[in-house]
Amino acid sequence: MIRRETLTEAMYQAIRLGATRMPPDIRRALQRALAEETEPMARKHLEISLQNADSSEKGNGLVCADTGFPMFFIHAGAKTQIEGGFNVLKECAEAAVARATAECFLRPTMVNPITRKNPGNNVGPGMPKVDLTFDLPGDSLEIIAVPKGGGSEIFGTFYRMMFPADGMAGIKKFVIECIKDACYAGKVCPPAIIGVGIGGTADVCMGMAKKAALLRPIGKHHSDPEVAALETELYEAARSLGIGPMGSRGINAVLAVNIDIAVTHTAALPVAFNAQCLVGRRWKAVIAADETIQYTGEIE
Amino acid sequence: MKDIKLPMSEADARSLQLGEMITVSGLLFTGRSRFHIRAIEDNVFPPVDYEKINCFFHVGPVMKQLENGEWSVVSCEPTSSIRFERYGADVVRKFKLRTLIGKTTMGPRTAEALREVGGVYLSKIGLSGNALRGQVRKVHNVYFLDELGKTECTWIYEVEHFGPFFVAMDAQGNNYFEQLSREAESRMPEIERKLNIPVGYDYTEVNG
Repeated sequence: MIRRETLTEAMYQAIRLGATRMPPDIRRALQRALAEETEPMARKHLEISLQNADSSEKGNGLVCADTGFPMFFIHAGAKTQIEGGFNVLKECAEAAVARATAECFLRPTMVNPITRKNPGNNVGPGMPKVDLTFDLPGDSLEIIAVPKGGGSEIFGTFYRMMFPADGMAGIKKFVIECIKDACYAGKVCPPAIIGVGIGGTADVCMGMAKKAALLRPIGKHHSDPEVAALETELYEAARSLGIGPMGSRGINAVLAVNIDIAVTHTAALPVAFNAQCLVGRRWKAVIAADETIQYTGEIE
Repeated sequence: MKDIKLPMSEADARSLQLGEMITVSGLLFTGRSRFHIRAIEDNVFPPVDYEKINCFFHVGPVMKQLENGEWSVVSCEPTSSIRFERYGADVVRKFKLRTLIGKTTMGPRTAEALREVGGVYLSKIGLSGNALRGQVRKVHNVYFLDELGKTECTWIYEVEHFGPFFVAMDAQGNNYFEQLSREAESRMPEIERKLNIPVGYDYTEVNG
């Protein structure tokens, strides 16, 4: 049985670590990009960003001051048991986020969209986002905390309902144009991690794009070879735009193009696009049934 | 690397070249969307001497109040200035701003205002919020903290060798990113050809 205190502690630590550390796969990808870029400005953008992450890891500041939208992607097993039931996840997430905000690991960023009032703790209707999936085999609980910056979400979100006759050409045109627009002047903080959803309903489609951008390790492809081939084709296309880090002249507009698909209506071809910024913040907490917690920046 | 004293003189501003990397030293004020909206729509803005504090830093810093009541900067990452384009030119003219610091760039209306005033727009290099916080020598004041909260309110910082930033808009009305955008646009036909997108392809139109 996992108690509320354990859950809240794991969520707090995961979002704190997420805000102050760069995941190892992202760091490797940025170092590879740095080795490849030759333009001085492109190199400087990457060097400074890597130094900034080093500094926050040593306890000085944050990977990025815009800790953005607080989100938790949670995976549970069929036998996972939580004290008070799964409906306590939301209140635990709220307590974890309020604490991390009070301690200045998260910036008070969430406001009422109409009144623009800021409660000061990043908690309100709909936020923090808690996404729950029952897909683990045993009795553990995995929590991936994602502080998602505004730049990537605000300038890197696009959706288009196309039709079957728009075909593969439509999908490719949409994605490459979204990448070009999102990276203009460094809006989404490139090199971006691009998530693309194809199929489903609008919300399923965007949900796939978001998870593909936030939760897939760099270098991992979709299990369907046709989808994986499309990922590679669009990744290479993005690298020939001439756009590099932070929108400068360069090669690495993106670190990855990650696609996921769902079956959809026979009349429809929905495509969603969601970008993650170059620091790709996310950190995982795994809670075993005996309540031991392990934290890791490695995502499978 | 050049270090420019704030408030920036018109001569300094007009001498800066697109793409040039510089640092700045002196006093600046912070703000985001709410500063822009309130200053122009409601004529409400912090009562400071804008001739002396003339550099507008687009940022929502993470601020921590120490036990003695003083404020310290945890991190200050420049925010996307292009969001402020609706009121950008009005704000530059109203306060005669010679220095804007932010992320991305701004649009043609702000470029024209900067040309008139003799000002530049400086864009951040990489994610640098931790290095920048170390260059804030003193937090002098804060305005509208209760009303707007720590992120949207206006902080007055004294900075030293603050940056580096690069000149993304010069005082002659030019924009660093416009040329890059044209270059990317010119590569699109070849990219589309490689992706097997037919010439003149368009999505199915259903809205009449």
